[in-house]
Amino acid sequence: MSSFAYAVPETKDEALALLNELGSGARVVAGCTNVLPGIRSKKIAACTLVDISKLAELKGIEIRGETVFIGSLTTINELLHSDLVASHGQVLWQVGRCFADPLTRNRATIGGNLANASPAADGVVPLLALEARVIVASLAAEREIPAAEFFTGPGRSVLQPNELIVGVSFATTTAMRSAFIKFGLRKAMAISLASLGLVVGMNGDLVEHARVGLGALGPTPARARQTEDYLTGKPLTPEVVAGAQEIIRTEVNPISDVRASREYRVHLAGVLLKRALEAALA
Amino acid sequence: MEIQNGITVTIRINGQQFTDVIAPEESLLEFLRTRALVTDVKCGCNKGDCGTCTLILEGQPVKSCLVLAAQANHKEVWTVKGLGADPLMQALQESFAAHGAIQCGFCTPGMLVAARSLLSDCPQPDRAAIKEALAGNLCRCTGYKKIVDAVAAVAASQASARDSRGRC
Repeated sequence: MSSFAYAVPETKDEALALLNELGSGARVVAGCTNVLPGIRSKKIAACTLVDISKLAELKGIEIRGETVFIGSLTTINELLHSDLVASHGQVLWQVGRCFADPLTRNRATIGGNLANASPAADGVVPLLALEARVIVASLAAEREIPAAEFFTGPGRSVLQPNELIVGVSFATTTAMRSAFIKFGLRKAMAISLASLGLVVGMNGDLVEHARVGLGALGPTPARARQTEDYLTGKPLTPEVVAGAQEIIRTEVNPISDVRASREYRVHLAGVLLKRALEAALA
Repeated sequence: MEIQNGITVTIRINGQQFTDVIAPEESLLEFLRTRALVTDVKCGCNKGDCGTCTLILEGQPVKSCLVLAAQANHKEVWTVKGLGADPLMQALQESFAAHGAIQCGFCTPGMLVAARSLLSDCPQPDRAAIKEALAGNLCRCTGYKKIVDAVAAVAASQASARDSRGRC
């Protein structure tokens, strides 16, 4: 007999009660684009697959007060076809076209990309640059975690076994310029060697604020805060851009693996920053 | 809600209902090939890389090795064979043959399903849009040019029937 079990709750509360009961014996599944390969390679075994794909509370993209809310079950393809995301979270919209491939984008969800916590997760890099908050629920309470504090290591996050990602939210604004640049070995279906998401607000010629999200450039997706601080208040002259490139190269902490060496990724961080600044301000 | 080890699943495949008791971790691809015996959907890499298992689930093209069969319960699935009477699919099939877009043929079912989804959403894609739409489908024989040529030819022949459906 199979070592797996399956449950398909109809409501969020039903799902949370089940997670509470099963603890680490549960595995939340939705788009399954990570989970099924994980099962096949035996990285995931003997657990109850809690299928959350029917939970209406986790769906939809809408304005809630001063923020844009995106339900965790939103697929990457839905992000790509959302006018709200295109206007208020352009950097997240920009990631859509280089995320995996069009078929996978019909299944992969933004909540799954967060929960999987890959250091190279493309979908979460824009969330860092948007200063998004991850909304997480348990039976007892709901809490919001800044995206930059969500990840604790490769494949690890602050998400507890009894918790469910409900969605993400970020401030509404259409005044910012942004760019997402992915460097992979192919144009599609590539795991990023490095990726960078940039949101920048300009006041005349000066950078009012800059937020930089990094993928595959450290043990977790992260912000490049020193680079952001350096850019703030400066004009984007070639000298300032070169200075920012120097800082970002010292700030990142990538690994060497089958895809690229540490040295190459450090170099890429500077290249991607420059390209992102150019693309955002073009 | 119950926690189940054996799940009774009913899936409507190419207009015909199939019901069976399955294991929780079984993929939609396994269900089609081993239970419903719908074998025009091919199993290549079985981990979401190659796209030859592409089918239409609830109107969208997906890789069926990345879908739990249990998640397709009470849903509708169409494969290349089930779309055989569809004029757009027929035009694509003929164009693939005419352009030599098939060598070993293993990727063809997935290519055709993905190409048909593109052309039904976006009747006049340019070559870049065709390449992007087929980016999840690997071919190890023809080198893609002929496949893109075949899809582009159908798009061009549809030009007169062009409308504004969907987004490109």
